[in-house]
Amino acid sequence: MTVVLAPIDRSCPADPPWIRPRAAYIHIPFCAHKCGYCDFASLAGADHLANRYLDALAAELELALDGPRPVASLFIGGGTPTRLNADQLSRLLATIARWFPLLDDGEWTVEANPGTLDPDKVDALASGGVNRISLGAQSFQPSSLRALERNHDPDDVSRAVALIAPRFDRWSLDLIFGAPGSTLDQWRDDLDRALALGPSHLSCYGLVFEKGTSLWKRRLDGLVRPVDEEVEHAMYAETIDRLSAAGLLQYEISNFARPGHESRHNLVYWANDAYYGFGLGAARYVAGVRSVNTRDLPAYLRRIESGQDATGPVERLDPEARARETAVLMLRRTAIGIDREDFRLRTGFDLDALCGPSLRRSCSRGWLEDDGRRVRLTRSGLFLADTVMSDLL
Amino acid sequence: MAHDPKFIRNFSIVAHIDHGKSTLADQLLLQSGAISQREFREQLLDDMDLERERGITIKARAVSIHYTLDGQTFELNLIDTPGHVDFHYEVSRSLAACEGAILLVDATQGVQAQTVANAYLAIAGDLALVPALNKIDMQAARPEEIKEEIFNTLGLDPDEILAVSGKTGAGVPELFRALIDRIPPPSGDVQAPLRALIFDSKYDDYQGVVVYVRVVDGTIRVGQKIRLMAMEREYEVIGLGQFRPREVPVQELGVGQVGFVVANIKQLSDVRVGDTITDAHTPAASALPGYQEPRQVVYCGLFPATHNQFEDLRTALQKLALNDSSFTFEPETSDALGFGFRCGFLGMLHMEIVQQRLERESDLSLVQTAPNVTYEIITRKGETLHVSNPTRIPDAGEIEEFREPYARVNFLVPSDNIGAIMALCEERRGDYIKTDYITPTRVIVTYELPLAEMIYDLYDKLKSATRGFGTMDYELLGYRPNNLVRLDVLVAGDRVDALSIVVHRDFAERRGRKLVKKLKEEIDRHQFEVAIQAAIGSKVIARETISALRKNVTAKCYGGDITRKRKLLEKQKEGKKRMKQVGNVEISQEAFLSVLEAGEA
Repeated sequence: MTVVLAPIDRSCPADPPWIRPRAAYIHIPFCAHKCGYCDFASLAGADHLANRYLDALAAELELALDGPRPVASLFIGGGTPTRLNADQLSRLLATIARWFPLLDDGEWTVEANPGTLDPDKVDALASGGVNRISLGAQSFQPSSLRALERNHDPDDVSRAVALIAPRFDRWSLDLIFGAPGSTLDQWRDDLDRALALGPSHLSCYGLVFEKGTSLWKRRLDGLVRPVDEEVEHAMYAETIDRLSAAGLLQYEISNFARPGHESRHNLVYWANDAYYGFGLGAARYVAGVRSVNTRDLPAYLRRIESGQDATGPVERLDPEARARETAVLMLRRTAIGIDREDFRLRTGFDLDALCGPSLRRSCSRGWLEDDGRRVRLTRSGLFLADTVMSDLL
Repeated sequence: MAHDPKFIRNFSIVAHIDHGKSTLADQLLLQSGAISQREFREQLLDDMDLERERGITIKARAVSIHYTLDGQTFELNLIDTPGHVDFHYEVSRSLAACEGAILLVDATQGVQAQTVANAYLAIAGDLALVPALNKIDMQAARPEEIKEEIFNTLGLDPDEILAVSGKTGAGVPELFRALIDRIPPPSGDVQAPLRALIFDSKYDDYQGVVVYVRVVDGTIRVGQKIRLMAMEREYEVIGLGQFRPREVPVQELGVGQVGFVVANIKQLSDVRVGDTITDAHTPAASALPGYQEPRQVVYCGLFPATHNQFEDLRTALQKLALNDSSFTFEPETSDALGFGFRCGFLGMLHMEIVQQRLERESDLSLVQTAPNVTYEIITRKGETLHVSNPTRIPDAGEIEEFREPYARVNFLVPSDNIGAIMALCEERRGDYIKTDYITPTRVIVTYELPLAEMIYDLYDKLKSATRGFGTMDYELLGYRPNNLVRLDVLVAGDRVDALSIVVHRDFAERRGRKLVKKLKEEIDRHQFEVAIQAAIGSKVIARETISALRKNVTAKCYGGDITRKRKLLEKQKEGKKRMKQVGNVEISQEAFLSVLEAGEA
């Protein structure tokens, strides 16, 4: 496997990337429709607040930063960022580019939904500096799209790809397996149809019934049933086999890419590095402190407009807890896992002194492999990653 | 002040839990001038955290109150008693040191099961009862009705019943007068050799064992050589004192007086509560009538969750035993759980308190097995065995007769709930004895129940069946033969000794089925299939299978998820802490306890 560690920015040794962010996340909450599985800060029917929201976002940046911060990666997620119209998108990108100038070779991703893209928007994105698109396809099965409460057709995906592919080298598809009622054959078909579109990156998530979502409630009421665990297991196994055969190598539990096309932004999270976060419900991790903005849109607007910050809960971990969290996150990187040297550098802790017994336990059960330098999940460990990880905490 | 016994009164307050005993005690201290208004705070006499949380006085204490009535100063010794059903025995020993008792009844709630039980204890001990209604300042007080209840249940004259408020102090002067008028003074012989009754003891880090005594005859003095008659040990008195309520040293304690003795006694086991202290040089001819040793009725195994903490657990138990001589522990080895201890308790509440204290004070993570009672077994060879650990029950072929302890249980409930109580007792193999109406709306229902059927959740069930209005009390009756069998549990083919229980043969299959079902819910899935079976001897009577855990992985973890996902993983980890590895299977604390819940009908 040729995946390498993200290079550490050593330009400012007193300010390493796990303290001062080299990445920023911006949240756009607007959606045409709330999907059944979605527990993000997203709202349907609030488009009339979009301009006001963009103003607030600019104000929030102004309030939080004393000057431009060059970053290696930017990620605009949602919600549905492409729910904004082309003018609004251009304005958003200009604001962000002013505060977060992209370093050379920087990655700038925007999430998009099939059915929301048009040539004007794609043009606005490309000319605004965006160089990567993450498209939420989720499924090509009409029955699964219905079960997930998505409001687009399978064909919308290929139409969106036709708009994106000519303008962006790097683009990704999101897929969800295990939609209620779905079968292994349907999932194989999903993988085939996704690969046929030629993405350089794929994210394939096992469906999670998140508390409070519409699907969660429907499951509670007995209206939908999760797919059988055995089927879900087979779907995940199929995913790994099928995608690696197609040259998309697994580099994280749910992420696959052609070498060099890994999401640099997401690698920041799994290295437990610092990142900025702005917008409704956005999380940030700056100077060892995690905090999250309110998820309540009126409250967010009100607070920002009156010159306050919109921060909610704040968490600061002690060094040992942070080190353990780092180990857990790094294990998500299925190709590189935890590199002992890198771990010591980033956390100050010796990996084996910190969690030797539980690593050995998982190794002896065949869930981890250890070459002396790196520890990573094995194929069977992938399926039981939470069991392995919880033991490290 | 002279210790003329004429001017001494010794009394307790007997009451149901929450009827305001401690507040009234504080009020007595306040009005006698022993404490200031500022010090008058709730539950002054309760000084252990756990007691405060539960509102239960666990350890008896004695306070001397000096009160002047019509120009004469009296020494009034208040000997505190616990109110919970498990501590019945401690109530009786406190009462033995008194000539009288305030029978305190909440004027809003009326007579409760422990009111009756404790009042009968006092009457049996020939104590003068001073009945009083408490909380008469409250809106919901129903004094006339409750007086009627007291008359109907205990036959006490309604005109003699006082009315007080521990909170406001109303009626307390009248109460003092009644205590002095109605309770007889102590009647010991001042000239006779010393006889003092030990009614309690506690361990103090600095002084060693502190013994609470009531002097019956003669005088005890600092410097005196004393003998503990039953233990046949001699000590020198190095300190005497009384609680007023602060410790006040005294040089001597005379006939009728109550106080504490410090005599360089190293450990609690050197002192037997109920023993008599006499003078070592001129000993009394006979000891005072003592009382029963506390009886442990509930047993469970306590095991450290991690293997290397056995010695830590032993140390913690020893430390706890310094302060509580009423629980027992002895080493036990379980195939499933390793090295631990089999512990005996006075009741379920006592067990819970000890376990919580162990965890709180020693930071140990414990696995507790389902509580059980002691069985009496007559073997084919004619031996009599007392077995308090289901694992030790011999094979059925060796048993001639299998006996279990019974208790007589009185439920005091609203008459609407008679049906619910009867259903509760019938499904627990109870024998109906009688129903007594104390008023048209409240009854005492009496059942005889196997103790094993009531130790786990009868009290909680009673509370929910009566919306909190029902109360209960029990006394042990002795052993009765029954058709009992040992039900074993096999997990992944291995017998888990710590999960064995004793059940009635007629209930065995139903209980076995429920048990394996319950265990299926409580045992986490593993990476392989796990069979759970219930068996009597070699005959499997129920089986469930826990399917293998095939997939346990969080699909999504990005910036906004990290804290929440980490907490979910921490929760998984936390759950594992109290797990015991049995063969290849991890079994949780909850699973060990769920054995009992499966007993519900």
